[in-house]
Amino acid sequence: MLAQTITQQSLRRMAIQRPLAMPMAKFASPAAIATNSQLMQTRPVATRNIKPEEGYKILVEQRKNRPVAPHLTIYKPQMTSIGSGLTRITGAVLSGGFYIFGAAYLAAPLVGWHLESASLAAAFGSLPVIAKVLIKSVAAFPFTYHCINGVRHLIWDMGKSFTNRQIQIGGWAAFGLSGISAVYLALAW
Amino acid sequence: MASIVRPSLLRQACSAAPTARMLSTRASINASQRIAQPSFVRSAVPTPMKAAAFHASAKRAILPPGPQHVEGTANDPVPVPPAEPTHGSYHWTFERILAAGLIPLTVAPFAAGTQHPVLDATLCASLLIHSHIGFDSMVIDYIPKKRFPKSRALFTWGLRAGTVVVAIGLYEFETNDVGLTEAIKRVWTA
Repeated sequence: MLAQTITQQSLRRMAIQRPLAMPMAKFASPAAIATNSQLMQTRPVATRNIKPEEGYKILVEQRKNRPVAPHLTIYKPQMTSIGSGLTRITGAVLSGGFYIFGAAYLAAPLVGWHLESASLAAAFGSLPVIAKVLIKSVAAFPFTYHCINGVRHLIWDMGKSFTNRQIQIGGWAAFGLSGISAVYLALAW
Repeated sequence: MASIVRPSLLRQACSAAPTARMLSTRASINASQRIAQPSFVRSAVPTPMKAAAFHASAKRAILPPGPQHVEGTANDPVPVPPAEPTHGSYHWTFERILAAGLIPLTVAPFAAGTQHPVLDATLCASLLIHSHIGFDSMVIDYIPKKRFPKSRALFTWGLRAGTVVVAIGLYEFETNDVGLTEAIKRVWTA
Protein backbone atom coordinates (compact mmCIF):
# COMPACT_ATOMS: atom_id res chain seq x y z
CA MET A 1 0.00 0.00 0.00
CA LEU A 2 2.83 2.37 0.94
CA ALA A 3 4.67 1.82 -2.33
CA GLN A 4 1.49 2.47 -4.31
CA THR A 5 0.75 5.64 -2.31
CA ILE A 6 4.21 6.96 -2.97
CA THR A 7 3.92 6.13 -6.67
CA GLN A 8 0.57 7.90 -6.85
CA GLN A 9 1.91 11.03 -5.15
CA SER A 10 4.95 11.27 -7.41
CA LEU A 11 2.82 10.73 -10.50
CA ARG A 12 0.55 13.56 -9.37
CA ARG A 13 3.52 15.86 -8.84
CA MET A 14 4.78 15.11 -12.34
CA ALA A 15 1.31 15.58 -13.80
CA ILE A 16 0.94 19.04 -12.21
CA GLN A 17 4.28 20.12 -13.69
CA ARG A 18 3.57 18.84 -17.20
CA PRO A 19 -0.17 18.39 -17.52
CA LEU A 20 -0.40 18.02 -21.29
CA ALA A 21 2.16 15.27 -21.75
CA MET A 22 0.31 12.24 -23.15
CA PRO A 23 1.80 9.58 -20.86
CA MET A 24 1.07 11.85 -17.92
CA ALA A 25 -2.47 12.41 -19.12
CA LYS A 26 -3.22 8.73 -18.49
CA PHE A 27 -2.24 9.04 -14.85
CA ALA A 28 -3.07 12.70 -14.43
CA SER A 29 -4.52 14.37 -11.34
CA PRO A 30 -8.12 15.57 -11.37
CA ALA A 31 -6.98 19.19 -11.60
CA ALA A 32 -4.98 18.39 -14.72
CA ILE A 33 -7.94 16.66 -16.32
CA ALA A 34 -10.36 19.43 -15.41
CA THR A 35 -8.23 22.12 -17.00
CA ASN A 36 -7.36 20.11 -20.09
CA SER A 37 -9.73 20.89 -22.93
CA GLN A 38 -8.62 17.76 -24.79
CA LEU A 39 -9.84 15.43 -22.07
CA MET A 40 -12.81 17.36 -20.72
CA GLN A 41 -16.21 15.75 -21.38
CA THR A 42 -18.33 17.71 -23.78
CA ARG A 43 -22.08 17.57 -24.12
CA PRO A 44 -23.24 18.23 -27.64
CA VAL A 45 -26.24 20.29 -26.47
CA ALA A 46 -26.16 24.02 -25.92
CA THR A 47 -27.70 25.86 -22.94
CA ARG A 48 -29.09 29.36 -22.73
CA ASN A 49 -30.43 31.73 -20.10
CA ILE A 50 -34.23 32.03 -19.75
CA LYS A 51 -36.62 33.67 -17.31
CA PRO A 52 -38.15 31.60 -14.47
CA GLU A 53 -41.64 31.75 -16.04
CA GLU A 54 -40.40 30.32 -19.32
CA GLY A 55 -38.47 27.68 -17.41
CA TYR A 56 -41.64 26.72 -15.56
CA LYS A 57 -43.47 26.38 -18.86
CA ILE A 58 -40.75 24.08 -20.13
CA LEU A 59 -41.10 22.03 -16.94
CA VAL A 60 -44.84 21.67 -17.48
CA GLU A 61 -44.26 20.58 -21.09
CA GLN A 62 -41.58 18.13 -20.09
CA ARG A 63 -43.88 16.49 -17.57
CA LYS A 64 -45.93 15.32 -20.54
CA ASN A 65 -42.86 13.54 -21.90
CA ARG A 66 -42.10 11.61 -18.74
CA PRO A 67 -41.40 7.92 -19.30
CA VAL A 68 -43.88 5.37 -17.99
CA ALA A 69 -42.64 2.82 -15.47
CA PRO A 70 -43.09 -0.74 -16.77
CA HIS A 71 -46.07 -2.57 -15.33
CA LEU A 72 -47.58 -5.45 -17.29
CA THR A 73 -44.20 -6.28 -18.84
CA ILE A 74 -42.42 -6.85 -15.55
CA TYR A 75 -44.94 -8.06 -12.99
CA LYS A 76 -45.39 -11.74 -12.39
CA PRO A 77 -48.99 -12.78 -13.04
CA GLN A 78 -50.55 -13.56 -9.67
CA MET A 79 -53.83 -15.04 -8.52
CA THR A 80 -54.89 -11.67 -7.09
CA SER A 81 -54.23 -9.53 -10.15
CA ILE A 82 -55.26 -12.07 -12.78
CA GLY A 83 -58.36 -13.07 -10.83
CA SER A 84 -59.45 -9.51 -10.31
CA GLY A 85 -58.76 -8.54 -13.91
CA LEU A 86 -60.60 -11.58 -15.22
CA THR A 87 -63.60 -10.82 -12.99
CA ARG A 88 -63.79 -7.36 -14.48
CA ILE A 89 -63.25 -8.56 -18.04
CA THR A 90 -65.89 -11.30 -17.81
CA GLY A 91 -68.30 -8.82 -16.24
CA ALA A 92 -67.66 -6.34 -19.03
CA VAL A 93 -68.14 -9.00 -21.69
CA LEU A 94 -71.41 -10.24 -20.17
CA SER A 95 -72.77 -6.74 -19.57
CA GLY A 96 -71.59 -5.61 -22.99
CA GLY A 97 -73.53 -8.42 -24.60
CA PHE A 98 -76.51 -7.62 -22.41
CA TYR A 99 -76.44 -3.96 -23.43
CA ILE A 100 -75.91 -4.75 -27.11
CA PHE A 101 -78.86 -7.14 -27.08
CA GLY A 102 -81.10 -4.60 -25.34
CA ALA A 103 -80.23 -1.84 -27.79
CA ALA A 104 -80.39 -4.13 -30.82
CA TYR A 105 -83.83 -5.42 -29.83
CA LEU A 106 -85.09 -1.82 -29.83
CA ALA A 107 -83.44 -1.08 -33.17
CA ALA A 108 -84.42 -4.36 -34.85
CA PRO A 109 -87.79 -3.26 -36.34
CA LEU A 110 -86.15 -0.17 -37.85
CA VAL A 111 -83.26 -2.08 -39.43
CA GLY A 112 -85.09 -5.23 -40.40
CA TRP A 113 -83.50 -7.75 -38.05
CA HIS A 114 -85.39 -10.54 -36.29
CA LEU A 115 -84.34 -10.77 -32.68
CA GLU A 116 -87.43 -12.36 -31.14
CA SER A 117 -86.81 -15.33 -28.93
CA ALA A 118 -88.44 -17.66 -31.43
CA SER A 119 -86.15 -16.65 -34.29
CA LEU A 120 -83.09 -16.68 -32.05
CA ALA A 121 -83.92 -20.17 -30.84
CA ALA A 122 -84.54 -21.38 -34.38
CA ALA A 123 -81.26 -19.90 -35.61
CA PHE A 124 -79.28 -21.41 -32.77
CA GLY A 125 -80.99 -24.76 -33.11
CA SER A 126 -80.01 -25.05 -36.74
CA LEU A 127 -76.29 -25.12 -35.89
CA PRO A 128 -74.43 -28.46 -35.67
CA VAL A 129 -74.36 -30.04 -32.21
CA ILE A 130 -70.65 -29.58 -31.64
CA ALA A 131 -70.92 -25.88 -32.50
CA LYS A 132 -73.81 -25.50 -30.09
CA VAL A 133 -71.89 -27.20 -27.25
CA LEU A 134 -68.81 -25.10 -27.93
CA ILE A 135 -70.69 -21.83 -28.09
CA LYS A 136 -72.62 -22.69 -24.95
CA SER A 137 -69.52 -23.56 -22.94
CA VAL A 138 -67.67 -20.46 -24.18
CA ALA A 139 -70.66 -18.34 -23.23
CA ALA A 140 -71.23 -20.06 -19.88
CA PHE A 141 -67.68 -19.76 -18.55
CA PRO A 142 -67.67 -15.93 -18.13
CA PHE A 143 -71.04 -16.20 -16.41
CA THR A 144 -70.01 -18.89 -13.95
CA TYR A 145 -66.58 -17.36 -13.29
CA HIS A 146 -68.02 -13.91 -12.68
CA CYS A 147 -70.71 -15.28 -10.36
CA ILE A 148 -68.32 -17.40 -8.30
CA ASN A 149 -65.74 -14.61 -8.05
CA GLY A 150 -68.53 -12.22 -7.13
CA VAL A 151 -69.38 -14.47 -4.20
CA ARG A 152 -65.70 -14.46 -3.21
CA HIS A 153 -65.69 -10.65 -3.32
CA LEU A 154 -68.71 -10.51 -1.03
CA ILE A 155 -66.98 -12.90 1.38
CA TRP A 156 -63.94 -10.60 1.42
CA ASP A 157 -66.19 -7.60 1.99
CA MET A 158 -67.37 -9.26 5.19
CA GLY A 159 -63.72 -9.41 6.24
CA LYS A 160 -63.39 -13.18 6.05
CA SER A 161 -60.90 -15.40 4.26
CA PHE A 162 -58.35 -12.67 3.66
CA THR A 163 -55.02 -14.45 4.17
CA ASN A 164 -52.73 -15.11 1.25
CA ARG A 165 -53.19 -18.87 1.42
CA GLN A 166 -56.96 -18.67 1.55
CA ILE A 167 -57.02 -16.35 -1.44
CA GLN A 168 -54.77 -18.67 -3.43
CA ILE A 169 -56.88 -21.73 -2.65
CA GLY A 170 -60.10 -19.80 -3.29
CA GLY A 171 -58.79 -18.51 -6.60
CA TRP A 172 -57.91 -21.94 -7.95
CA ALA A 173 -61.17 -23.35 -6.59
CA ALA A 174 -63.07 -20.59 -8.39
CA PHE A 175 -61.36 -21.38 -11.69
CA GLY A 176 -62.00 -25.10 -11.36
CA LEU A 177 -65.57 -24.76 -10.17
CA SER A 178 -66.51 -22.28 -12.87
CA GLY A 179 -64.96 -24.44 -15.58
CA ILE A 180 -66.81 -27.52 -14.40
CA SER A 181 -70.07 -25.59 -14.05
CA ALA A 182 -69.72 -24.11 -17.52
CA VAL A 183 -69.19 -27.52 -19.09
CA TYR A 184 -72.09 -28.94 -17.07
CA LEU A 185 -74.39 -26.11 -18.15
CA ALA A 186 -73.33 -26.55 -21.76
CA LEU A 187 -73.83 -30.31 -21.85
CA ALA A 188 -76.67 -31.05 -19.48
CA TRP A 189 -79.08 -28.23 -20.32
CA MET B 1 -5.74 -1.77 -5.46
CA ALA B 2 -6.76 -1.00 -8.95
CA SER B 3 -8.40 2.24 -7.84
CA ILE B 4 -5.12 4.14 -7.98
CA VAL B 5 -4.42 3.77 -11.63
CA ARG B 6 -7.42 3.61 -13.96
CA PRO B 7 -6.20 4.24 -17.44
CA SER B 8 -9.26 2.65 -19.04
CA LEU B 9 -11.59 5.47 -17.99
CA LEU B 10 -9.23 8.17 -19.17
CA ARG B 11 -8.51 6.25 -22.36
CA GLN B 12 -12.25 6.25 -23.10
CA ALA B 13 -12.41 9.98 -22.48
CA CYS B 14 -9.36 10.54 -24.66
CA SER B 15 -10.69 8.49 -27.54
CA ALA B 16 -14.21 9.92 -27.18
CA ALA B 17 -13.08 13.53 -27.02
CA PRO B 18 -12.21 13.94 -30.70
CA THR B 19 -15.54 12.54 -31.97
CA ALA B 20 -17.58 14.49 -29.37
CA ARG B 21 -15.77 17.58 -30.40
CA MET B 22 -17.26 17.23 -33.88
CA LEU B 23 -20.75 17.75 -32.41
CA SER B 24 -19.66 20.35 -29.89
CA THR B 25 -21.00 23.85 -29.96
CA ARG B 26 -17.92 25.31 -28.30
CA ALA B 27 -15.96 27.52 -30.57
CA SER B 28 -12.63 27.36 -28.79
CA ILE B 29 -10.97 24.44 -30.53
CA ASN B 30 -7.35 24.71 -31.44
CA ALA B 31 -6.78 24.13 -35.13
CA SER B 32 -3.73 22.02 -34.45
CA GLN B 33 -5.77 19.68 -32.23
CA ARG B 34 -8.60 19.19 -34.72
CA ILE B 35 -8.65 15.79 -36.33
CA ALA B 36 -8.99 15.83 -40.11
CA GLN B 37 -12.70 15.30 -40.89
CA PRO B 38 -14.86 16.81 -43.63
CA SER B 39 -16.48 20.01 -42.34
CA PHE B 40 -20.03 19.05 -43.39
CA VAL B 41 -20.14 16.29 -40.74
CA ARG B 42 -20.72 18.76 -37.91
CA SER B 43 -23.68 20.48 -39.50
CA ALA B 44 -25.26 17.19 -40.68
CA VAL B 45 -26.06 16.06 -37.10
CA PRO B 46 -29.74 16.85 -36.43
CA THR B 47 -30.93 18.46 -33.19
CA PRO B 48 -32.87 15.41 -31.93
CA MET B 49 -29.66 13.44 -32.11
CA LYS B 50 -27.95 16.08 -30.03
CA ALA B 51 -30.80 15.90 -27.51
CA ALA B 52 -30.68 12.10 -27.56
CA ALA B 53 -27.17 12.30 -26.15
CA PHE B 54 -28.82 12.88 -22.77
CA HIS B 55 -30.96 9.72 -22.92
CA ALA B 56 -29.66 6.59 -21.27
CA SER B 57 -32.12 4.05 -22.73
CA ALA B 58 -34.45 3.74 -25.69
CA LYS B 59 -37.82 5.46 -25.47
CA ARG B 60 -40.69 3.01 -25.56
CA ALA B 61 -44.14 4.31 -24.71
CA ILE B 62 -46.14 1.18 -23.89
CA LEU B 63 -49.27 3.08 -22.92
CA PRO B 64 -48.58 6.82 -22.79
CA PRO B 65 -50.07 8.42 -19.67
CA GLY B 66 -51.99 11.05 -21.60
CA PRO B 67 -51.92 14.85 -21.40
CA GLN B 68 -51.16 16.31 -17.98
CA HIS B 69 -51.33 19.81 -16.64
CA VAL B 70 -50.11 21.27 -13.37
CA GLU B 71 -52.59 23.01 -11.08
CA GLY B 72 -50.79 25.88 -9.39
CA THR B 73 -47.01 25.66 -9.20
CA ALA B 74 -44.86 22.57 -9.02
CA ASN B 75 -44.41 23.09 -5.27
CA ASP B 76 -48.12 23.07 -4.38
CA PRO B 77 -49.58 19.81 -3.05
CA VAL B 78 -51.91 17.85 -5.32
CA PRO B 79 -55.49 18.94 -4.58
CA VAL B 80 -57.51 16.19 -2.88
CA PRO B 81 -61.02 15.81 -4.33
CA PRO B 82 -63.82 16.51 -1.82
CA ALA B 83 -65.33 13.44 -0.17
CA GLU B 84 -69.05 12.74 -0.65
CA PRO B 85 -70.76 9.75 0.94
CA THR B 86 -73.25 9.41 -1.94
CA HIS B 87 -70.34 8.66 -4.24
CA GLY B 88 -68.35 6.94 -1.52
CA SER B 89 -69.60 4.73 1.26
CA TYR B 90 -73.32 4.82 0.38
CA HIS B 91 -72.51 3.87 -3.21
CA TRP B 92 -70.33 1.01 -1.98
CA THR B 93 -73.00 -0.30 0.37
CA PHE B 94 -75.69 -0.11 -2.30
CA GLU B 95 -73.46 -1.91 -4.78
CA ARG B 96 -72.78 -4.80 -2.37
CA ILE B 97 -76.40 -5.13 -1.32
CA LEU B 98 -77.43 -5.28 -4.98
CA ALA B 99 -74.78 -7.89 -5.77
CA ALA B 100 -75.83 -9.98 -2.79
CA GLY B 101 -79.45 -9.70 -3.90
CA LEU B 102 -78.54 -10.90 -7.36
CA ILE B 103 -77.48 -14.29 -6.03
CA PRO B 104 -80.97 -15.57 -5.08
CA LEU B 105 -82.45 -13.82 -8.12
CA THR B 106 -80.09 -15.78 -10.39
CA VAL B 107 -80.66 -19.10 -8.66
CA ALA B 108 -84.47 -18.72 -8.64
CA PRO B 109 -85.12 -19.29 -12.39
CA PHE B 110 -83.13 -22.53 -12.19
CA ALA B 111 -85.18 -23.65 -9.21
CA ALA B 112 -88.67 -22.25 -9.84
CA GLY B 113 -88.85 -22.14 -13.61
CA THR B 114 -88.81 -19.34 -16.13
CA GLN B 115 -92.52 -18.50 -16.41
CA HIS B 116 -92.63 -15.82 -13.75
CA PRO B 117 -92.66 -12.31 -15.25
CA VAL B 118 -92.34 -10.38 -11.96
CA LEU B 119 -89.29 -12.40 -10.94
CA ASP B 120 -87.90 -11.98 -14.43
CA ALA B 121 -88.46 -8.22 -14.40
CA THR B 122 -86.77 -7.91 -11.01
CA LEU B 123 -83.82 -9.94 -12.25
CA CYS B 124 -83.52 -7.82 -15.41
CA ALA B 125 -83.67 -4.54 -13.49
CA SER B 126 -81.11 -5.68 -10.92
CA LEU B 127 -78.84 -7.01 -13.65
CA LEU B 128 -79.10 -3.72 -15.51
CA ILE B 129 -78.22 -1.60 -12.48
CA HIS B 130 -75.40 -4.01 -11.57
CA SER B 131 -74.01 -3.71 -15.10
CA HIS B 132 -74.33 0.07 -14.99
CA ILE B 133 -72.40 0.26 -11.73
CA GLY B 134 -69.73 -2.03 -13.14
CA PHE B 135 -69.31 -0.01 -16.31
CA ASP B 136 -69.30 3.20 -14.28
CA SER B 137 -66.46 1.83 -12.15
CA MET B 138 -64.50 1.08 -15.31
CA VAL B 139 -65.08 4.60 -16.66
CA ILE B 140 -63.98 6.14 -13.36
CA ASP B 141 -60.90 3.95 -13.19
CA TYR B 142 -59.64 4.31 -16.73
CA ILE B 143 -60.64 7.86 -17.68
CA PRO B 144 -59.44 10.22 -14.91
CA LYS B 145 -61.31 13.51 -14.83
CA LYS B 146 -58.20 15.67 -14.43
CA ARG B 147 -56.49 14.36 -17.53
CA PHE B 148 -59.40 13.63 -19.88
CA PRO B 149 -62.24 15.90 -18.76
CA LYS B 150 -64.19 15.80 -22.02
CA SER B 151 -63.79 12.07 -22.64
CA ARG B 152 -64.82 11.36 -19.07
CA ALA B 153 -67.98 13.45 -19.43
CA LEU B 154 -68.72 11.86 -22.80
CA PHE B 155 -68.40 8.31 -21.52
CA THR B 156 -70.29 9.00 -18.28
CA TRP B 157 -73.28 10.48 -20.05
CA GLY B 158 -73.03 7.97 -22.89
CA LEU B 159 -73.21 5.16 -20.35
CA ARG B 160 -76.27 6.71 -18.70
CA ALA B 161 -77.97 7.12 -22.07
CA GLY B 162 -77.07 3.54 -22.97
CA THR B 163 -78.54 2.25 -19.72
CA VAL B 164 -81.81 4.09 -20.39
CA VAL B 165 -81.96 2.68 -23.94
CA VAL B 166 -81.31 -0.88 -22.71
CA ALA B 167 -83.93 -0.43 -19.99
CA ILE B 168 -86.51 0.47 -22.64
CA GLY B 169 -85.38 -2.43 -24.80
CA LEU B 170 -85.65 -4.90 -21.91
CA TYR B 171 -89.11 -3.59 -21.05
CA GLU B 172 -90.18 -4.12 -24.64
CA PHE B 173 -88.65 -7.60 -24.64
CA GLU B 174 -90.39 -8.45 -21.40
CA THR B 175 -93.75 -7.17 -22.61
CA ASN B 176 -93.87 -8.29 -26.24
CA ASP B 177 -91.76 -11.40 -25.95
CA VAL B 178 -91.30 -14.16 -23.40
CA GLY B 179 -88.84 -12.50 -21.01
CA LEU B 180 -85.11 -12.89 -20.42
CA THR B 181 -84.95 -16.18 -18.55
CA GLU B 182 -87.44 -17.93 -20.81
CA ALA B 183 -85.63 -16.68 -23.93
CA ILE B 184 -82.27 -17.89 -22.62
CA LYS B 185 -83.81 -21.24 -21.80
CA ARG B 186 -85.34 -21.57 -25.29
CA VAL B 187 -82.08 -20.68 -27.04
CA TRP B 188 -80.01 -22.86 -24.71
CA THR B 189 -82.11 -25.97 -25.17
CA ALA B 190 -82.72 -25.45 -28.89
